[in-house]
Amino acid sequence: MKKIFNVLLGVVTSIGGFVEAGSISTAAQGGTEFGFALLWAIAVATIILAMLAEMAGRIAAVGKRSMAAAVRERFGFHYQMIPLGAELIIDLLLLAAEIGGVAMAVKLLTGVGFQWWLLPIGLLVWLVIWLGNFTIIEDGVGLLGMVTLAFVVAVWQLGPEPKVVAAGFIPSLPGHDLTRYAFLTVSIVGATVSPYLLNFYSSGAIEEKWTEPDLWINRLTSYLGMGFGSIVSMGVLVTAAVVLGPLHIRVDSYEQAALMFVPVFGRWGVTLFACGLGVGCFGAAIEITLNAGYVLAQSFGWTWGVDKARRDAARFCAAFTTVLLLSLVIGLLGFDPLQMTLISVALTVVIMPLIVLPFLVLMNDEQYVKQHKSGSIGNGLLAALTILGALMALVVIPLEIFGG
Amino acid sequence: MSHTVRLDRLIGRKILTGNNRSIGRLEECRAERRGDSWVVTEWVIGSAGLLERLGLGVRLIVGMRGGGSFVARWDQLDLSDPDRPRLNCSVEELRKA
Amino acid sequence: MDVVHDVLDQQIVDRNGREMGRVDGILLEERPNEPPRLAAVLIGASALGFRVNPILGRWVHGIEYGVGIGEERPIRIDFSHVDEIGEKVKVDVTVGESRAETLERTLRDWLLKIPGSR
Repeated sequence: MKKIFNVLLGVVTSIGGFVEAGSISTAAQGGTEFGFALLWAIAVATIILAMLAEMAGRIAAVGKRSMAAAVRERFGFHYQMIPLGAELIIDLLLLAAEIGGVAMAVKLLTGVGFQWWLLPIGLLVWLVIWLGNFTIIEDGVGLLGMVTLAFVVAVWQLGPEPKVVAAGFIPSLPGHDLTRYAFLTVSIVGATVSPYLLNFYSSGAIEEKWTEPDLWINRLTSYLGMGFGSIVSMGVLVTAAVVLGPLHIRVDSYEQAALMFVPVFGRWGVTLFACGLGVGCFGAAIEITLNAGYVLAQSFGWTWGVDKARRDAARFCAAFTTVLLLSLVIGLLGFDPLQMTLISVALTVVIMPLIVLPFLVLMNDEQYVKQHKSGSIGNGLLAALTILGALMALVVIPLEIFGG
Repeated sequence: MSHTVRLDRLIGRKILTGNNRSIGRLEECRAERRGDSWVVTEWVIGSAGLLERLGLGVRLIVGMRGGGSFVARWDQLDLSDPDRPRLNCSVEELRKA
Repeated sequence: MDVVHDVLDQQIVDRNGREMGRVDGILLEERPNEPPRLAAVLIGASALGFRVNPILGRWVHGIEYGVGIGEERPIRIDFSHVDEIGEKVKVDVTVGESRAETLERTLRDWLLKIPGSR
């Protein structure tokens, strides 16, 4: 009974924790510029994410290793250096973008300038991690994140034609601006399948001490949690499509994006959008910071864990603190959070093949998954995904230049 | 005076034959416990190198079956120049993996 | 035992199960007319740096000196102290004895000054 409650909580908190700067900005732009035509991209990206997360959870529960540890041990440091270095750079940029997103949200709420909020928000992120434990952090972030359900409520209120919306789930070529469409498709994938999420999920599985009997929990949490979470993302896209689409603008700022709530929620519209943006980005900022600690500690073999006493994991604490500080510096240098989001999303796509390839090997290695190997369907999907990832990696930079 | 060498830097190096041809890269070092020490018994030399190390999954994508590996006994490899490890014997004397 | 597969890059824990780091390098001792012997396991950033490139290794070692731990790095644990090679490499020393935790301890002293630390 307790386990079922925990699974439900896990699924619910995954919904709350799903949207953040990357998914909000790509969904808002996608909806505004192409109507419902990119819904299939969110759906496909979510399925990819859920599949990889479930595999990462399996390796953690059965092999007792996080992704970073598994990659170091199975492939050696020479291989790992590249995805590790890339992931750290992406995490720095994305963290700066998320903190920037929270700062923008506070600015929308208070009217007071955005850069003033960066340090206090950074400090708050740090305090939550410093004082909390894994359950409080995850459940807290997830439950607070339920405010993002406003995006789903908005769709319900706006009442677009179900048949027209459903058509968006069938991939089709747009009538205009193919390069931009391709760029947004690839960006949606990059925003959804973030490398930090996979290592964070597997580290969480270890913090929660999942074992082989818990594999069903892993499957439910990854597929249902992320599946329902993606509904919020889709809510952003549909709302943007219905409200902002007819204006024929390009969403270049969060202030513009916030307007999507005005027809539905009136004078509370901007406030509610700000709350959703702020909470979503705050949760992501906590996870990315924590994950930076996880990835460094696990790669180098230090003691790690937010459930451990701080005195026992000093290098782990120093690692996440340093990454947070560096991100704050980047933010304070004045880079636009929306731009940083798009750059980190593009970089994510570039290294995606290097992230997916290890799964193909680990999921067939008894040392990591024992008898819970990936079947031929799983292997086929992973192989296809690696190739797809390589193709996307090749086109993303040209697309960013021509369609970004 | 015995001489120490970084094993992790040897791994991955091309193994040269007497006439400076490469037969592959050093992939693995097999050791066994004898008394208080672990001693090297064999070296595994592979021609697909990195791909071999990655294992089954990758071969599924790439579909090739490397050139085959060799196994050298500890005394068949000369490590006096760690940057250029070479065979002490002819290729025919090596065991096929 | 396959040294690269089973030992290199694996997690090392001490006699009490505490994490010491990963096997960042392995020293081989060559002996005349005898098979080479696994001499020691190496832990540390400079060991790892050296593995990528000797110049990088020297540079990282310089940083370690700068931070005050250069004398004890890379940490060498004689192979005779390796007790078990399985999911992790267990060695028969403690973290303290091996000087593997100098950095950890220094940071810990710093961190304990922050309120709310436990």
